[in-house]
Amino acid sequence: MPNKLLMVDDEADFREIMGKFFKRRKIEFEMAAGCREAMDLIGQDSFDVVIMDVSMPGLDGIECMAEIKKIRPDMEVIILTGHASVNTGLVGMKKGAFDYCLKPIDFDELLEKVLLARERAAGKAGG
Amino acid sequence: MQRMLTFIKELFSPPPSAPPMTPAELKDAFRKRYRNFRALLTANNNALQAMAELEKIYYSGESYRMAVIRSKTTTILVNVYKMISSLLEMSGGRYKDLEVIFEKISHEIEKIIEKKPSFSQGPFILPLAEVGEKDRAQVGEKMANLGEIVRVPGCVVPQGFVITASATRHFLTADHIAEINRRLQLLDPDDLDGLLRTCAEIRKDILDIPMPPDLEELLHVHYARLEMVSRPGCWLAVRSSALGEDAAGVSFAGLYRTILNVDGDGLVAAYKEIIASKYGARAIAYRRKRGYRHEDIEMCVGCLVMVDALTSGVTYSRDPSEEESEVVRINALSGIAKGVVDGTRTTDLYLVSRETPHAVVYREIRQGQGKASDQCADSSLTYGQIRKLAEMALRLEGHFGKPQDMEWSFDHQGALTILQSRPMLISQPQNAQEEAAPSSRAENGEQPILFGGICASTGIACGTVFRVNAASEMPDVPMGAVLVLEHPLPEWAPLLSRAAAVIAESGSEAGHLATVSREFAIPALFSLAGAMDLLADGETITVNASARSVYLGCRQDLLTQRAVRKDIMAGSPVQRILTEALQYITPLNLNDPNAPQFKSSWCETLHDITRFCHEKSVYEMFNFGREYKFDQGAAKRLVGEVPLEWWVVDLADGFRAGADAQGQTIRIEDIVSVPMLAIWQGISAFPWEGPPRVSVRGFGSIIFQSTMRPELDPAVASALTTRNYFLVSKNFCNLSVRLGYHYAMIEAYISDLLTESYVTFRFKGGAADMKRKAVRARLLAEILQTFEFRVELRSDSLLARVKKRPTEFLERRLKILGYLILHARQLDMVMNMPNAVERYKEKFLTDIEKMLS
Repeated sequence: MPNKLLMVDDEADFREIMGKFFKRRKIEFEMAAGCREAMDLIGQDSFDVVIMDVSMPGLDGIECMAEIKKIRPDMEVIILTGHASVNTGLVGMKKGAFDYCLKPIDFDELLEKVLLARERAAGKAGG
Repeated sequence: MQRMLTFIKELFSPPPSAPPMTPAELKDAFRKRYRNFRALLTANNNALQAMAELEKIYYSGESYRMAVIRSKTTTILVNVYKMISSLLEMSGGRYKDLEVIFEKISHEIEKIIEKKPSFSQGPFILPLAEVGEKDRAQVGEKMANLGEIVRVPGCVVPQGFVITASATRHFLTADHIAEINRRLQLLDPDDLDGLLRTCAEIRKDILDIPMPPDLEELLHVHYARLEMVSRPGCWLAVRSSALGEDAAGVSFAGLYRTILNVDGDGLVAAYKEIIASKYGARAIAYRRKRGYRHEDIEMCVGCLVMVDALTSGVTYSRDPSEEESEVVRINALSGIAKGVVDGTRTTDLYLVSRETPHAVVYREIRQGQGKASDQCADSSLTYGQIRKLAEMALRLEGHFGKPQDMEWSFDHQGALTILQSRPMLISQPQNAQEEAAPSSRAENGEQPILFGGICASTGIACGTVFRVNAASEMPDVPMGAVLVLEHPLPEWAPLLSRAAAVIAESGSEAGHLATVSREFAIPALFSLAGAMDLLADGETITVNASARSVYLGCRQDLLTQRAVRKDIMAGSPVQRILTEALQYITPLNLNDPNAPQFKSSWCETLHDITRFCHEKSVYEMFNFGREYKFDQGAAKRLVGEVPLEWWVVDLADGFRAGADAQGQTIRIEDIVSVPMLAIWQGISAFPWEGPPRVSVRGFGSIIFQSTMRPELDPAVASALTTRNYFLVSKNFCNLSVRLGYHYAMIEAYISDLLTESYVTFRFKGGAADMKRKAVRARLLAEILQTFEFRVELRSDSLLARVKKRPTEFLERRLKILGYLILHARQLDMVMNMPNAVERYKEKFLTDIEKMLS
């Protein structure tokens, strides 16, 4: 059973666009609109990479990543940030994100990062 | 010399004893180190690329936005952080102090980029009579100037008061502003329709914010006072007076609203409208273009009793269209001054001597001509009035110490009131050749299709005609179009950032759009009758505003006379921020890996950290084999028919299966790394002719440098200082070449997956002086550009890339690079000799052509 990708973002429009993109690239994925939904999904299915928007109501992306890492320390997380502050990306990295992407998304760049994250996740799993 | 020996000793002596590991563990540890090495190199590429891009926009003279600075800086910070993490993992935490240094640098950068302008708190309303220079921070530029000029003898300004910046912050709170900024950040900068829509929404929201009761009450108290000194129910002109528009050469002309004929009941609504005009499309586009953040500008509002104007106009104490001119320029029309500055009406023009008794040297009565006017053709000013205006303009120039742009009205009793005075924006220095343009027209035999009008901004440009008709929507103007308008309304200012030139059927050089055109150095030709009818959409024309001529087609002969555009961002807050931030990002202090300063503790910039991490990561890879006695991962010397000395480390599958993994040496036949083999073909295509013959002067310079830098001594610069490492796998190769101060790196990943494939080349330094090093780097850059490399060049530092191309294409590029790193060695020494650049360029191109055929 191949691993899936989990996309967490509160914006429905953005999830729809990303869903189309993943489908076209034949990447198995699930969507969550917030942190709680993401945590539920992670408990039920096998994911290796999470793409997470930083600014979300309730728990924000960075806090949510910390929650996920508590139960799945190996999970590779790619965070998505706007350009409100130079520090958000860096804070995410320090808290253990694999990488970050700026919104609006460059699809090729994101795909490249997803593939690298998968490679690293597989490396960890293999020892 | 001592440190060289230390390094060599480090490299070849038995390493510190590493913990014993089983072969399987060793293999695994090596794989892990390689993975981190790859991650570090990727991060290195990304960081350096973003640094090059940031420098490029900084030096381009074009405009850029905070969003770009933030995103590039984030990219750099994140990637440098990744490099440090990878290096720590590779080295078992050996360079831990890098984290502290990085923390310090990133903190400084964040402080610079996120710094907000500071504002002081003061009273909500100040009577204009009490306002002066000292109150600039509360009342804004315009009102501070107006308050100030009351001190000039004979100068009368309207009665009035100013609603201060403190009042604005009371009305429009930090929360409101945060929400507005959030919405503006979401906008695509090129989406004019989106911008207009968002601006309309923001305006509505601001108008809906309730006026704080204390401010409203205060407003009415001050209005009542004005009624007492003028007349009950008096009308006010409510004008913007923005704060923070203090940079040199920035006009902010006509960006914000002025509302006329406002009475006590309409005051609150008018005030809100002025505040909202800070977020008008024009103002936003202008700030973006000139490098102002929205928070850099604060709105103050002047409320002035209206003058019952008979004649109004604008006076420049020195004619802006001619440098060193000794005349005062007056544009005048009947009624209020609005028609002058918004470009809807044609004005009378007077040029008046700056010397007393101020003789009128030129007069052009334009009112009453053309379709924009319904006035009669009499002069709008008497000679006495003209003299009075000239005297006043010169007095104001004397008071402020620089030429002034003064707005005024004469009332029905003949009294002169000054409505505004501000430093004049001097037009681009006129290109001497431009004035000769009309005669070249005659020689050429080609007549202009349109001739005449008023030159509102000098210059020559070519583009396709785009006629702008409907005022209701911002049209989709293509980049580089020539805008053709009926009236040069200030509303069209956002379009100027896309325009090559502007033509209008009405208007004068005194209008706001004229000011903004001059500021952006876009040629503008106004009051050109018949332009809308004669010019067809999509037609290519050349506008020579200076010669008041329009030609069909693109006239290269005229375009070559163009003056260079000035730096549009100069002096702006955004440029200041980038200047400061770059100090912590791009300078490179760690040049020489052999120098005692090549230590983490000497890293002062992010560039230093990347350089340090890269060097140490190569070292960590290179040393793994010896450190752990892991022969498979040890460096092997390349032997056979090879020039110079090369070492190879196999990272994974770069050697032929069955090659002697335990040996100290390797032969080129045993290497299967695709990118390395391509580079090697380039290196071995032609024999190196040895160091170029150096002139006596050049040689003296080497000797001089060598006394200070022993590694450059020809006796020392032997194989040992020439450390060339290949780190290879089947698809990957990283080659570092060094000779003294000269450093070159080729890195490539070649894969059938196009998105992953790339070739990167970095080149920096040399032993000659900076000028010759830079010439060599430029020579290489030019050659690489002819082979479709994307090249970034700053002085002697060169970065060239190709990516996402087929294998065969990339292999040929690697051959070229292999050839160049060998044959460009020490070439910097002769780069000051006559024709050296042309000669070597020709030789290199010929050799490369032969090699690739």
